[in-house]
Amino acid sequence: VLIVVTLAFASFGTRVEAQIAAGLLWAGLLFSAVVSLPRTFLLEEEQGTGDLLRLLARPHAVFWGKALFNLAQMLGIACLLSVLFIVLVGPSPASPALYVGALLCGSAGLAGAVTFCGALVAQAEHRAALAGAVSLPILLPLIWLGVASTKVALTGSMMAQGIQGMMGLAAYAAITLAAGPYVFAAVWKS
Amino acid sequence: VEIVKWARWLLLVLMGGAVVWSFLVPDAAGFQKPSLARIVFFHLPPAFLATGFLFTGAWFSFRYLRSKEPEWDVRAVACIEVGFLMACLTMASGILFSKVQWLEWWNWDPRQTSFLMVLLLFSAYFLLRMAFPDREKRAGSAAAYAVASVLPAVFLIFVFPRLPHVVNNSLHPNETIPDTITGGPAPRPRVDVVEDPNNPPPPAKPETRGFDRNYTMVLFAVGGLLLATTIWTYRLRVRAGLLELEADLLDEGLDDRGDTAATGVVRPISLHDQGRGTDYKG
Repeated sequence: VLIVVTLAFASFGTRVEAQIAAGLLWAGLLFSAVVSLPRTFLLEEEQGTGDLLRLLARPHAVFWGKALFNLAQMLGIACLLSVLFIVLVGPSPASPALYVGALLCGSAGLAGAVTFCGALVAQAEHRAALAGAVSLPILLPLIWLGVASTKVALTGSMMAQGIQGMMGLAAYAAITLAAGPYVFAAVWKS
Repeated sequence: VEIVKWARWLLLVLMGGAVVWSFLVPDAAGFQKPSLARIVFFHLPPAFLATGFLFTGAWFSFRYLRSKEPEWDVRAVACIEVGFLMACLTMASGILFSKVQWLEWWNWDPRQTSFLMVLLLFSAYFLLRMAFPDREKRAGSAAAYAVASVLPAVFLIFVFPRLPHVVNNSLHPNETIPDTITGGPAPRPRVDVVEDPNNPPPPAKPETRGFDRNYTMVLFAVGGLLLATTIWTYRLRVRAGLLELEADLLDEGLDDRGDTAATGVVRPISLHDQGRGTDYKG
């Protein structure tokens, strides 16, 4: 929200180009995800309930529970940010369907990947800072695809590229959510 | 042992020979500084090796996750360390090439940038390892991260640089040194086609004549020797890692039995079983 409001102040009276706007929107989504989503696992360790989960719950159930909660949280953040973005900064999407599709698929990918990274660092030292450092390189391809498809959605030109980008986001989300529980199960109880 | 010793000396001599050979090939025309196009000999092979070691490390990590045998973790770390070294060499030679040929240290060229992201992936792996004091947790988390890195690495190394609009915006030439210097195969003869006004022909692609044969030979020589050197380094690193692992396991054994000595104090070992873990009984 801070990014969008600051951008609105900075761009007052001027039109932000689609390329810059798409980049800024995804920067906002990325930082929101990296800061908020790993908390679901970090809180378990800080409150001392992580061991209880390890004893009582199946790893797949834990992963899916956290990932779905994070997905709901991410969709809420994406919805809020994009509405604020359109209202305050101004570039309304030329292709709303592609815009919403890219945000949905991107949110799913972010939720899957950051949930997984949060689980990996939950028992580490300096876990909060580490979660961001470990998530970022894994998320960079997703962010690139998100920027590419959102840029097309804002301008409405070269739709084939935008749809390709969205398909890429969907594939990334599907692979992350499908493989995540298995890799997570292999390390969760160690 | 003698053969291995001689093989190492031979490797050193051959590497020196390959460096000399790289200066004997003709300058590559079409560059800002043709003589410095030779940087490619020390840029391409490390890039291939870095990619190979990264994926081999991910495979060993996968083996670790399946078997939980610490030896696979040692192999995975060794692979990823050597791969990181090669990636740094690729990045350094690329930056140097960028400065001498494109006149900037950093151009935000898509390939340069995607390789920087691969370096970030490597760095995050080591960062993650450093954050766990416990051996098993460190190995498990790092292995899971290495396996998870495969998807972004495949995208950054193989998919992203080949996307059409990325290729068009990249300064990285695909036909860097065409086979013209040493009189390579002649270009294909043009076939005149009667143009149909309703069905215009696609835009003509530039004629490719392959990579210069001299350059190809030196590239293979440097690549092969670098591969031998990195495999040797990898094996040394695995041996060192296995020794560290053995020491760790010995430590853990002593801790479990409550025989832990204070820091800086030499622990008692048995003289009868050559230090395999039972107490000295006098």
